[in-house]
Amino acid sequence: MKKIISTRTLLFVATALALAGAGAARAEDALDAATKARVEAFEKGPATIDISKYPEALKENYELFSQKCTQCHKLSRPINSDYALPDEWSRYVKRMMHKPGSGISSSDGKKIYEFLVYDSSVRKKAQLDDKLAKASAEEKAAAEAALKKVRDQYDGK
Amino acid sequence: MPAMNDEPNCCRPPDVEPTAASAPVPVWIIVLTLALGFLGAVYFDRHSGWFDRQVFTPYSSSVALASYQPKSGAAALAARGKTVYENVCGICHGSDGLGKPGQAPPLAASEWVTKDLTTLARVPLSGLNGPIQVAGHDWNLSMAPMGAGLSDADLAAVLTYIRTAWGNQSSAVSEADMKAARAAISGNAPSAADLAKMTPVERGHEIFKKYGCFQCHGQDGKGGVTNPNAKTAEQVPSLIYVADGYNKAELIAFISRGERVIPRLNPNGPEPPHFMPKWDGIVKTNEMSDIADFLFSLKPKGEKLDF
Repeated sequence: MKKIISTRTLLFVATALALAGAGAARAEDALDAATKARVEAFEKGPATIDISKYPEALKENYELFSQKCTQCHKLSRPINSDYALPDEWSRYVKRMMHKPGSGISSSDGKKIYEFLVYDSSVRKKAQLDDKLAKASAEEKAAAEAALKKVRDQYDGK
Repeated sequence: MPAMNDEPNCCRPPDVEPTAASAPVPVWIIVLTLALGFLGAVYFDRHSGWFDRQVFTPYSSSVALASYQPKSGAAALAARGKTVYENVCGICHGSDGLGKPGQAPPLAASEWVTKDLTTLARVPLSGLNGPIQVAGHDWNLSMAPMGAGLSDADLAAVLTYIRTAWGNQSSAVSEADMKAARAAISGNAPSAADLAKMTPVERGHEIFKKYGCFQCHGQDGKGGVTNPNAKTAEQVPSLIYVADGYNKAELIAFISRGERVIPRLNPNGPEPPHFMPKWDGIVKTNEMSDIADFLFSLKPKGEKLDF
């Protein structure tokens, strides 16, 4: 059968209509475009962490983490975020914890923080080392102390 | 060499000219022509100025050309006001001035806009807390003093615009009117000399009041204003723990950018009426630093988390 309208013609007509339409469409409200893009990039990553080699005691923390944090956002957001330093996790967890209605007690918050710090020192080791190398001597010492505290508490348990 | 006479002439009758057979115009050419014509018409409509002799490159239409002409009087003021309006006020009150249910009352045909200028002039400077009546309907919301950081000229322009747009027919507003309104409400505000003597935390507190942060976040930053269907327990968040959750740079970045979209408690429910405005360009850089210091000072003494 003879082709009546070629694909190229169709494409051309579609482009012409799209061009006309684009002029009429108003620019979307892009108030927070940068943050949105950043968060969306995080959320595209894996949604779980392989914790089979983590200390037994920490597995409970992972449960708590997956349960509390998914109340408001995908778990892939914190899992793939660019936070790695203990200080960053401390602020991030507290920021979320203090949101009205979060349902995260301060002891829950502490467990989630400990999980994230431990996890960063294993799964995000390269990123963490990179951040430590860029930090000032004072920040580095504080980060290493906070990290040691968590590792000592969980390693081998 | 073959003899010319020997060539047979069997296949071509001597007196008939060769002709091409007729064929229909392909459909794709018709469509292409129509599409090109359409595109041309759109381009012409946008860029020609409809044969206006004064419209030529780089001006694309008589409207664009007119917008470059020096203007005077109320029309010029209103044109400037429209720009300010779309950037600052239009997000809530709408480009059509009709407001949004549960978010902002209408300005078109609103007696608050068209009648008494003294009250109207104070609204962008001080904000406005409901309940109020607008055109016979009750509104119980609160507006931050979104205009506190604008110049008198911009405020005069934007008020002139809302008093003359959308069928409103009230008098223009002058810079002097705005100066008077600012003076009338500045009785309690500290002078620049007083501010310079204060500590950053004290200054931050004055700025917190100046921009009306308290209208949503409470006098002492403890929150409390309800925000129906907001995921944050239907409240505007308290600010007393920002010291835990943000460092100074992060906090200033957050205030600058605001949070236009507030997550909903019930995803199918209405949009929460209150949101964090974008303060970038309104609150000045040095004020941002002071306000961050003030907010950090709100953390209850003695409360400490061990992580």
